[in-house]
Amino acid sequence: MLRSFKLLCLSVLIFALPSLASAVDVEDEKGTFSIEYTPKRIVVLELSFADALAAVGLGPIGIADDKEKSRVLPAVREAIGDWTSVGMRSQPSLEVIASLKPDLIIADIGRHEAVYEDLKKIAPTLMLRSRTETYEDNLAAAAIIGKVVNKNEAMQARLAKHHELMQSYKQTLTVSASFQFGVVNSDLLYLHTEDSYAAGVIKAMGLENAKTGAKDKAYLPVSLEQLLGVNPDYLIVGEYTQPNALSNWKKEPLWKILKSVKNDHISYVNPNTWSRCRGIMAAEQMAQDLVKILTI
Amino acid sequence: MITPSRFFLFSTLLLVFLALTSLSFGAVSLSFLDVINGFFEDSEHYFTIHEYRLPRTLLAIVVGAMMALSGALVQGVIRNPLASPDVLGVSHGAGLAAVLYMTFLPDASTNWLPEVALVGGLLAAIVLWLLCGTSSSAIKLAITGVAMAALYGSAIDFVLLVKPLEVNNALLWLTGSLWGRGWPQLTSLLPWLLLIPLGLGLAKHLNLIDLGDDSAVCLGTKPNIIRLISLATAVGLTASCVAICGPIGFLGLIAPHLTRRLIGGRHQVLLPATLFVGALLLVIADLVARTINPPIELPAGLMTAIIGAPYFLWLLFSLR
Repeated sequence: MLRSFKLLCLSVLIFALPSLASAVDVEDEKGTFSIEYTPKRIVVLELSFADALAAVGLGPIGIADDKEKSRVLPAVREAIGDWTSVGMRSQPSLEVIASLKPDLIIADIGRHEAVYEDLKKIAPTLMLRSRTETYEDNLAAAAIIGKVVNKNEAMQARLAKHHELMQSYKQTLTVSASFQFGVVNSDLLYLHTEDSYAAGVIKAMGLENAKTGAKDKAYLPVSLEQLLGVNPDYLIVGEYTQPNALSNWKKEPLWKILKSVKNDHISYVNPNTWSRCRGIMAAEQMAQDLVKILTI
Repeated sequence: MITPSRFFLFSTLLLVFLALTSLSFGAVSLSFLDVINGFFEDSEHYFTIHEYRLPRTLLAIVVGAMMALSGALVQGVIRNPLASPDVLGVSHGAGLAAVLYMTFLPDASTNWLPEVALVGGLLAAIVLWLLCGTSSSAIKLAITGVAMAALYGSAIDFVLLVKPLEVNNALLWLTGSLWGRGWPQLTSLLPWLLLIPLGLGLAKHLNLIDLGDDSAVCLGTKPNIIRLISLATAVGLTASCVAICGPIGFLGLIAPHLTRRLIGGRHQVLLPATLFVGALLLVIADLVARTINPPIELPAGLMTAIIGAPYFLWLLFSLR
């Protein structure tokens, strides 16, 4: 009798162990997030989370891509296959998310806190910070996502490879000059300040960011005169629209005395990659862009 | 003009029909059977129907009705069909409070937004009251209210220009939307529903005020007190709605006006009827906003503005 009871206990333990072993606890913006299975159907509500999943070879079934698949970085698109658009990042369609029957949702505290309770009713929801994150924040978030999708080792390996890759790019760059990235639309140029994601990547490449004088602000709208005040050695611009504010500035005498213009150190990059995507692959693409800018 | 009994029969049927339509259509269309099943917890559409579309539809009905009644009360007091709750500056005050909260405390929880907006809306009403007191004429009140609304509006623009980083979230809220609103928001609105019978009870007095203050006094009404109660009710209705959904433009203006054209200006009929018209308008606006380009959700306030602005212009020109 006792023996059979022991056997029973043992068999229960053996069956229970694997499920216990796969339970994961991580800290997210809402406290402790725990999940007891390996999620297979994941919906992400920011582009940076899709990047993190792609880094470990997983594809989300739904992305809040503003109904524009091209907003997802080409390298990420290649890695994840097709997905369903769940609407705008600012107002994702909860109906579509529910219809996908996800078993994990990854959301951004900055945009989706108001619907956190609703999202939780659909599937366990991991709340991370995406919209105002820095380069370091983004890598930390990727590490958390790696744990939650039960791919911790693969994620750590990918992050190690990322650091290696960034290091190798960094070694080719030995320029002591100031850099400034900004995006421009039809009326304004927004400089991405020292606190921004782009500046974090520039710094990780061993390059110096221009001093914008902004405090606690990731994005700073400037006029031509204010741009002249910052006067970076290299100006990197992402154009959201064409023609844009710069088209007019180029006709002004002030434009010609900018250091970057005088030395022909003004270059154009994809604003989506540099400003919207954020992520491991996005940072690598940005690093490649920087290498290209500085070696040509 | 149609008879009241016909109007109420027709609008009830239409409202039931639209509510059912609103339950079955959206980014994902469901059959009638799926909708019925969706009310039970074991259905795969339980979230979509019971947790999402049902509270949202009910909220559209309640908010639409409250905004419309608020508009009818203000129009009754100011005695001008072009007046609306906007002339009290309540929605702009709420908007300013919300925008300030979002831009200067970007890391603060958005869960407090309704309370902040509510306080802003009520403060705006108190400021108006302090400026005008109880004895000023309706026209002075309206002009002061519009001036205050313009002031809050330009303050909102100023903040948005100085802090462009947070513009997206703020603009989204300022257009008025039912996205992501559910049972908790509906529950928090319930106590304010008490204002509806209070508003309806003012019908007779508002008819008398319509005859002019002198006649109203002769007929046994105290215009100043009625005005104060009506406006306070309108402020409560508007502020509580704006706190939940953001300022949904033009609803408080066009709903009562449309009702007046349909069944006339007697407040005993006008006030209850406008509840239906407001509810219908907002349910339609939200339905269109959800289904026009799924999965993109447009704000319902955008829809009401698209219908409301041309209607307002037509109104202005036809009044000449």
